[in-house]
Amino acid sequence: MDKSIYFIKNEDLLNLVEKLYADYQVFVPFLKDSSSLKKDYCYQRFKPGLSWVLNPYRVTEPLKTFFTYPREELSGYFCPDKRILNVEQKTIVLGVKACDIAAHRIQDFVFIEGVQEDALYRLRRENTLLVSSDCTDYKDVCFCLAMDVLPYPQKLFDLNLSSLNEGYLVEIGSPRAGQILEDNQSYFTPAKDTQIAARKSKRDIFVDKLKNHIIPQNMPRIDKLQDLIRKGFSLDTWSHFMLTCVECGGCNLICDTCHCFLLWDEKGKTNNLRLRQWDACQYANFSRVAGGANPLKNRTQRLRNRFIKKFDFFIDNLGIPACCGCGRCIEVCPGKIDIREVLKDLAKKV
Amino acid sequence: MTKDIYRSIEATIEDIIEESPTIKTFVLRTHEPFSFKAGQFIELTLPGVGEAPFTPSSDPSVKDRMDVTIMKAGKITGLLHGIAKNTCVGIRGPYGLGYPLDKFKGKDILIVGGGVGLAPLRSFLYALFSQMDNFNKVVLRYGARSSQDIIYKKLLPDWSKTDKMNLVLTVDIGDPSWQGNVGLVTTILKDLPVNLDNCVSIVCGPPIMMKFVTLKLLDLGFNPRDIFLSMEKNMSCGLGKCGHCRIGSFYICKDGPVFTYEQLSKLHDIWD
Ligand SMILES: Cc1cc2nc3c(=O)[nH]c(=O)nc-3n(C[C@H](O)[C@H](O)[C@H](O)COP(=O)(O)OP(=O)(O)OC[C@H]3O[C@@H](n4cnc5c(N)ncnc54)[C@H](O)[C@@H]3O)c2cc1C
Ligand code: SF4
Ligand code: SF4
Ligand code: FES
Repeated sequence: MDKSIYFIKNEDLLNLVEKLYADYQVFVPFLKDSSSLKKDYCYQRFKPGLSWVLNPYRVTEPLKTFFTYPREELSGYFCPDKRILNVEQKTIVLGVKACDIAAHRIQDFVFIEGVQEDALYRLRRENTLLVSSDCTDYKDVCFCLAMDVLPYPQKLFDLNLSSLNEGYLVEIGSPRAGQILEDNQSYFTPAKDTQIAARKSKRDIFVDKLKNHIIPQNMPRIDKLQDLIRKGFSLDTWSHFMLTCVECGGCNLICDTCHCFLLWDEKGKTNNLRLRQWDACQYANFSRVAGGANPLKNRTQRLRNRFIKKFDFFIDNLGIPACCGCGRCIEVCPGKIDIREVLKDLAKKV
Repeated sequence: MTKDIYRSIEATIEDIIEESPTIKTFVLRTHEPFSFKAGQFIELTLPGVGEAPFTPSSDPSVKDRMDVTIMKAGKITGLLHGIAKNTCVGIRGPYGLGYPLDKFKGKDILIVGGGVGLAPLRSFLYALFSQMDNFNKVVLRYGARSSQDIIYKKLLPDWSKTDKMNLVLTVDIGDPSWQGNVGLVTTILKDLPVNLDNCVSIVCGPPIMMKFVTLKLLDLGFNPRDIFLSMEKNMSCGLGKCGHCRIGSFYICKDGPVFTYEQLSKLHDIWD
């Protein structure tokens, strides 16, 4: 199939997922909690008969959970090649959003690029097809536009779905996704120009709606952030906002760009284990060294560290901030520390 | 099969040399080929217990053996000090960039070490010795807490006999058996026999020592780009992935561990 945009009817998308289930483990979004004011969606492993809905905005958990795990055995210790890479299953994830995809530029940079490539991460990435979709609604905490992320993916997805009249426009973003369409041609019809125009106007309308939500938040512009962080190093912003931090690490762990981990050795029942577990720079011992010295001794330094890493380090090293505006850290924080408010406070004082 | 970048290879501890009451040199024979450049570091594993970063202290041109000089400082280093010869440990690496030896050609080289910081400098010295024609002279200034804490005691006399080499030691606290200088290492940085216009300085030691040596060298007129410092931070992966060793917009493990003062001078809290 040489064109890149097709139309699929609602029921055919459901049929396609049932069919793909034969060859892939498929994750679909489901409505976790309909009672809360704004409904939360999560990923769930698909089984035939399961009813699922495409999420209007991002799901609760970060996409990184498919590529690194909170705690996992990593290495065959001394024995070469002992790790069984081929147990990694081919996977399809539906319900991915533009912010998740933007965040994965950071994860890919860390684990695939750089001095050496993490083979396990790469394998999981290669085994996993990302089926994204346009956002049709937002959460209060969303601020993607302020991070230059539009609410519909434009690249780095495998398939993107845009809902339109009893079905979806399906955009092909990779050759392997093209193959899926090829193999299931009966479900798809080439998109008409009118449909593509309709997608554009739907997108424009939603971006306007989102602007009405985000512009009044009055966040500093993205091209000012690095300067703010640098000039704001000694401001009281950090010591003020840290006061309610309980050092749970939630903001790091839930963040789709945060990638820090700790290698951990342990004695297992029969052999020694090397584990990798997610780490968080908000934990007190994150940078402690022998003898007890710790360059990030207090919460003020650690809160600042999180922002330096996101808005100075990554802008220097990759040209983009390590924040996609998903707002997960805002939702998770028991101390009600809001990344937007921290940046606004800096902008006020610098 | 793709490479597992977090895997350690096995190494046997063939010999253990007691350097001082708190410092031992471990002679390792790796079971798979392993080589490093002076200034690069490794992660050494105590199987089932944990890892810690160390800089090999031996001659980088020796391929089948590697020395690591380790000060007792906490959990892993404490346990290492308790183990016997022929124990198996793990190593991974080498990591980091090492010393840019090519840039030092035709220059006077001032080496300033403090305590166990002489370990990586020893490896660097061996690398210099193997191509001494390329350097004008090598001046070594080393400070230890007391005469007991001086490491490589047997090697130091040989080094001072080496052509083009000038060596001065000092201890922080004197004792009756010690005839030499008493005072911090900065006190033996006076009247250095080097041409300041054509000299690089290589510094390794505890953060507080590096701080005051750097200030002293700047005072003497060294250019910040000619002062090479070995930086230390908490490390886990060694590969620029785990995020632990950030300093400014660098990772010490992959962009260092050796940095010029020029690279660091504008950053905050570098000595913490
Ligand atoms: C590049 C570099 C080169 C170095 N070279 C040398 C050298 O040549 N000689 C020398 O003596 N020292 C050297 N050091 C210092 C040496 O690495 C520390 O002294 C050592 O890490 C202390 O480890 P410890 O477990 O004994 O100390 P501890 O105080 O017990 O631990 C220190 C830190 O290690 C981490 N840690 C402890 N246990 C674990 C675990 N199970 N898993 C993961 N992390 C853990 C923790 O973050 C802890 O805060 C070097 C350091 C660096 C960064
Ligand atoms: S989520 Fe909030 S309370 Fe928890 S570590 Fe982050 S800032 Fe602190
Ligand atoms: S910092 Fe917060 S808003 Fe930004 S990507 Fe991470 S979790 Fe999302
Ligand atoms: S030690 Fe992991 S990033 Fe440097």
